[in-house]
Amino acid sequence: MFEPKIVAFLCSWCSYTGADTAGIARLKSPANLRAIRVPCSGRVSPELIMRTFDQGADGVLVLGCHIGECHYDTGNHRAAKRLPVLQALLSFGGLEPERLRLDWVSASEGERFARITTEFTAMVRELGPVHWRWEGKRRQEESRDLLISSKTIPLPEMDFTLRTESIRAKARELLASGQVGCVIGYETSQRGRTRPVFIYSPEEVGHLVWNADCTHNLSGYLVDKLPANQRERSNENGSHLRIGVVVKPCDSRTINVLLAENQLSREQIHIIGVTCEGMRKEGGNLQERCVSCQERTPVVYDTLVGEPVHPVDQRPFSQSDEIIAELNKATPAERLEFWLSQFDRCIRCYACRQACPLCNCPTCLYERDDSTYVGMGIGLNEKRTYHLGRAYHLAGRCVGCNECERACPMDIPISLLNQRLAVEIEKTFGYRSGLAVVPSPIVTILSGEYKED
Amino acid sequence: MSQPDLNAKSRLISQAELDKWLDGLARTQTLIAPRNVSGVVLYRPVAGSDEIVKGVNRPAMSVKEVFFPPTERLLTIRKTGTEIHINETLPEGQAVVFGVLPCDARGVRLLDALFLDTTPADPYYARRRANTTLIGLACKEMGPTCFCTSVGGAPDDPTGMDMMLYPAEYGYMAEAISDKGHSLLAEAGWPETVLGGTAPDSTGRFPTLEKSQWPGHFNDDYWMKISERCLSCRACAYVCPTCRCFAVRDEMLGPGEFERIRCWDSCAGENYRRVAGGHRPRAEKGERLRNRFYCKFFYFPGQIGLSDTSACTGCGRCIEVCPAGVDITEVLQDLERLA
Repeated sequence: MFEPKIVAFLCSWCSYTGADTAGIARLKSPANLRAIRVPCSGRVSPELIMRTFDQGADGVLVLGCHIGECHYDTGNHRAAKRLPVLQALLSFGGLEPERLRLDWVSASEGERFARITTEFTAMVRELGPVHWRWEGKRRQEESRDLLISSKTIPLPEMDFTLRTESIRAKARELLASGQVGCVIGYETSQRGRTRPVFIYSPEEVGHLVWNADCTHNLSGYLVDKLPANQRERSNENGSHLRIGVVVKPCDSRTINVLLAENQLSREQIHIIGVTCEGMRKEGGNLQERCVSCQERTPVVYDTLVGEPVHPVDQRPFSQSDEIIAELNKATPAERLEFWLSQFDRCIRCYACRQACPLCNCPTCLYERDDSTYVGMGIGLNEKRTYHLGRAYHLAGRCVGCNECERACPMDIPISLLNQRLAVEIEKTFGYRSGLAVVPSPIVTILSGEYKED
Repeated sequence: MSQPDLNAKSRLISQAELDKWLDGLARTQTLIAPRNVSGVVLYRPVAGSDEIVKGVNRPAMSVKEVFFPPTERLLTIRKTGTEIHINETLPEGQAVVFGVLPCDARGVRLLDALFLDTTPADPYYARRRANTTLIGLACKEMGPTCFCTSVGGAPDDPTGMDMMLYPAEYGYMAEAISDKGHSLLAEAGWPETVLGGTAPDSTGRFPTLEKSQWPGHFNDDYWMKISERCLSCRACAYVCPTCRCFAVRDEMLGPGEFERIRCWDSCAGENYRRVAGGHRPRAEKGERLRNRFYCKFFYFPGQIGLSDTSACTGCGRCIEVCPAGVDITEVLQDLERLA
């Protein structure tokens, strides 16, 4: 008979003692358990759990103190918020969600410990061996036709000349008056491609353009342009050097997230917000993310270019939503196959991470030399760990600008992961990132409203 | 030399004939060819000619990954008691690559210069190279980002191939370039057309700096300026047919078992050239982007004794993939203008 390998992360203060209590009371608990003692269930980072599955665990059990009894007050609140999100992500990636369970066992509940572990082991035994870790070579198969565009929405008519003129005029004014030292905007290259440009003098503002290809999220350059040592530097007038930036509604949400996470301060930047009817994808139609955009007007700006438009109440359904719905309906095995065939193409060039304005760790967890969470190899398991881990790190933060997907040279639909988690976060916390200067609920402390079922 | 009649029926191999031959090849050995993988064209093993993408599509990745894969196991280490067993894992198996672009073959020649012509030769690369036959396909026209003619290549350059196919109006002409190619052509029983080198193509050609002029631009502000938009990702390096940096590390497989792997690496990454103690001589992204261009046009040609040629093959992939719009042709032209 198949005997599953179960890894149990046990809180040292309660569940680990609970296991002892079970032992002293001579209660039977399954021998499949590999117990790992941790200081708190809040210590069990999602990376640890992913690593456990990557290394072949059939099931992972995280046991902590009951809500309200945490030795560190709120450690188990963290676990309670994080693990359901991780579970949703792993499930979307093709793991049976039942293989991960979070529960509470106090030090005196030996009987409860024995019951939970026995039940969990029996359930995982029923599920059979895990097929998460990919062994050996694979021939790349076509993934299901999910990604073939069935319907497309044409780009709406837009007046670019007027907005281009307004952006130039504002940039000229800001630079000439010394209010900003640099304006980050868009230009058209000799090849006719629209790309980011950095304007330092009023004479150069003629380079600035606005068109349907201004898809880059320029707010990512702000953190780079405003390094800590420059924050104190003043210009001739003695005022602090500021940076002007041209943003679309989606990009403006990024700025709110950056502000909430103290990556910038509001007075360092002058935001030239542009109302937007959507950006063009290859072939001339509207990008999927723009189909489901609700804002249309930047949520934060100093100068607004274009007439303000009312936000859309109901999120319009896009093709990506359809794909996500399809994947949700599919079996875990089908989802696993889908994502493996997508990640197979990944070359780990980190373009997605570098293009992401919110991936701003000084050294990526997945690129550290001493990383214990992922190997250096450009293999399927490593690539999946990287992508799922990155998606998790963006949960509740990602604004859906889709820079990751645009930057991908292999056309991997990475943003589906982010979108799936955005849905999860909205469902659980009623929160959409970047609409105000509020950090992600997943990184903040719950204030006691969490109730045990 | 008089040009042969290029459309004479007797010289031509029809598409059907070619497909049949490729199907035969695929049955006996690994046939690698441009294949559509979820909408992206890549050099991948194919089961038959029907899987091969025909037309002008340039695969998203160069043929480099066939010889120098993104990740390669070099050896395994097993520790039992006090004994340590090391097992070198050399690649096995014969392969034929069909539909190799002239710029990619040129890239392979440049990789040869590093991996084969310098001592000691790289055994993994050497094994793959010896076991692989390259069948080239001349480009009918240059793509929007192609610039091979400006860096010494041509869309129909057969050098570096084992066998070359030239598309004609109603089929293909075949030319054997190497001994492998001759025997392949003989087996197929096809007529050979020796084109004897075509006239240099100047389509879309633009002037570039002489190698000797490069050092003079090292301290130009230009590098900091053009790199402002650079995101320090590695897409340009990984799609490049001649970028060949790698990192080596031992990783644990299980208790007492380890593997030594080598993986692609790139000068674009923030860790580039970091030394013990954390010093990074190329800490600024502008310095790293500059390194990319110097490596292509100055360092690498100098190291391997390419007097006037560049290590750029003009495939244009880096232009295509750059998420921030850094354009190598623009840089080359700007430098030429600055000179």
